[in-house]
Amino acid sequence: MSDRFGHLVRAEWTKFRSVRRWVLGLLIAIGLTVVLSTLFASVGGTDANSAPAVADRFHFVHQPMTGDGSVVARVSGQEPSHDWAKAGVMIKQSTASGSPYAAILVTPRNGVRFQADFRTDIGGSGRTAPLWLKLTRSGTTITGYESADGTTWTEVGSVSLSLPQTVEAGMFVASPEIVEIQRQFGGTSIGGRPTLGRATFDNASVSGGEPAKWQHEDIGASMFTSDETGATESGGTFTVSGSGEIIRLQQGDDDLIFNSFTGVVFGLMAVIVVAVLFITSEFKRGMIRTTFAASPRRGRVLVAKALVIGLVTFVAGLAATAGAFLLSQPQFRANGYRPPAYPYVHLFDGVVMRAVVGGALFLALLAVLSLGIGAILRRSAGAIALLIAIFIVPQILFGGLPLNVALWVGRVTPVAGLAIMQTTKRWDTAIDPWPGLGVLAGYAALAMGVAIWQVRRRDA
Amino acid sequence: MRSTVYTEWTKLRTVPSSAWLLIGTVVSTVALGSLITASVNTDFCPSPVECFEDTPKLSLTGVYLGQLTVVVLAVLAMTNEYGTRMIQTTLSLAPRRYRVLSAKAIVVTAVVLVAATVGVLGSLLVGRLILPRNGFTPLHGYPPLSLGDGPTLRAAAGTVLYFGLIALLSLGVGAIVRDTAGAITTVVSLLYVLPIVAQFVPDPDVRKFLLEYAPMSAGLTIQVTVGVDLLPMRPWAGIGVLACWASAAMIAGFALFRYRDA
Repeated sequence: MSDRFGHLVRAEWTKFRSVRRWVLGLLIAIGLTVVLSTLFASVGGTDANSAPAVADRFHFVHQPMTGDGSVVARVSGQEPSHDWAKAGVMIKQSTASGSPYAAILVTPRNGVRFQADFRTDIGGSGRTAPLWLKLTRSGTTITGYESADGTTWTEVGSVSLSLPQTVEAGMFVASPEIVEIQRQFGGTSIGGRPTLGRATFDNASVSGGEPAKWQHEDIGASMFTSDETGATESGGTFTVSGSGEIIRLQQGDDDLIFNSFTGVVFGLMAVIVVAVLFITSEFKRGMIRTTFAASPRRGRVLVAKALVIGLVTFVAGLAATAGAFLLSQPQFRANGYRPPAYPYVHLFDGVVMRAVVGGALFLALLAVLSLGIGAILRRSAGAIALLIAIFIVPQILFGGLPLNVALWVGRVTPVAGLAIMQTTKRWDTAIDPWPGLGVLAGYAALAMGVAIWQVRRRDA
Repeated sequence: MRSTVYTEWTKLRTVPSSAWLLIGTVVSTVALGSLITASVNTDFCPSPVECFEDTPKLSLTGVYLGQLTVVVLAVLAMTNEYGTRMIQTTLSLAPRRYRVLSAKAIVVTAVVLVAATVGVLGSLLVGRLILPRNGFTPLHGYPPLSLGDGPTLRAAAGTVLYFGLIALLSLGVGAIVRDTAGAITTVVSLLYVLPIVAQFVPDPDVRKFLLEYAPMSAGLTIQVTVGVDLLPMRPWAGIGVLACWASAAMIAGFALFRYRDA
């Protein structure tokens, strides 16, 4: 029995390779994918490597501190301007933005954190204001503590930091931008809206060195006017308003691997046409009657066809994706996509292999889906138009759709299969790689199931 | 000539797929238009007034899908005859070849214009019902969609015209290519793929030219009612560009049909 199936597969393979237009069609798919991917990679560029590496913006109420000592304050209240709004005490080398620091802080939704030098981030308790915060400096070690009452202190974390003898110490308030979706003139864009954080402090003191007056200023450029940010004191209670973020910026959020395969969207058109014709031309010429007379188990014929078109497309797809990757990468590198923001990647790296092999799998499953739809509709015109409506029209419409609708389309329609080539996750990621390919595989299986059921009960 | 038109009308009428494709044009135009219109509201706008949503254009988004069935219908009107060798019978009965192609153009365009009118009016009606529920109310500067409004009438009539020109473009390409799959792929590439590829052309002048003069992007400027001053070309000039594409395809189709062996 399996031997007979082997014959069937070989017969279908012979059919495929002896039609010059189909072989040519797959070569066109490879050519379109490689050439267009390389072309797309050659335009555009990035300044990720010259962009600042850290964000360091907040409002700082400070006084000098010399040698060993400590800074302590009670955060009596904090406005929930952002889940990651920060209020706390800090020791910082100077008031220059980007200079080394250590801080213990409280957030509205993420508890107490001990952070230092844009690198260290240690979680404390889940408490919110009011609470006491303290930093001590002993040699090069800075330790952060939290306390509910100002008498029993719990250590949150410590860090070794080489700072000059005299540093600035005091209270600070920051509040990051809110990511906002905005729609205007029929298009959707993503932007950041700055938020203003506000917190109140009391029982503030700095020990170490001579007692000095508190000074306050914005560190880094503030998105707000100097009227909005600032600090006032009355009877030992400070009200501090500040905006910004103290964080290492993630550099380079372009998916350089996914972007190596932009031509696939056009190569897939050729795959659709070849795979649809592989079945509909048999119906059109009446060849299908000869085929079914030679092997009456019609379901098997369709499975053999799916196997042949799937395998052939997989091989062609592998050539297309590997070629596109190898030719696109040098173009990206020439356009400024270089380490450290964009490390070099190799064809045989794990994620690259997943994208390259997965891209070929995507095309193979697309071919099987096309074959199934071709077998159901039996007409090349209708099948090709339907598949183009599914795979090309959404690409055209994405820009005008609200983001949540676009993501939904990318999740539940066969287009989800394209996700297998993604290697990073962003706000506009619709679905994870393997689940995305699974969605397409599901549609392909469904189409084949319906096709086999129909081909058995309908006249050829 | 009248008898040739009548013959072509009979051919088109008696193929079951024609009716299905025309129904498909109406349904897909209205369905996609409604889905997209229903998915857009003023929630993400700075304020409903500052949304500057082009509501007639939004309601007519279905054209992006509806035109596909028109492409198939018009291409098949030509290529089906080659697939079945019917063309030899057709030409032995009507040896004046330009008459055959003219008759096909008249019949296909006429039925497409009828279906397009139904689809466009349906889309606007659905838009009129959905839009106010999504915040696009008269209070926010969005009066109910109405053909009494000049720009809306232009968008609606222009979209019907757009469908007709797409039919002629497809028929012309069908006469040039003569193969169903090949002709559909060619038209789809012209419509959908050209504007995407054009974005990546390195030379800015060539890029701008391709983006503005691609048949779909040029033709659909007729739908724009908000920010018309910002368009690279007047709406009627845009649909004129599409008319040039359609004419070029038809002229080449006529020439090849006339001088090639069937």
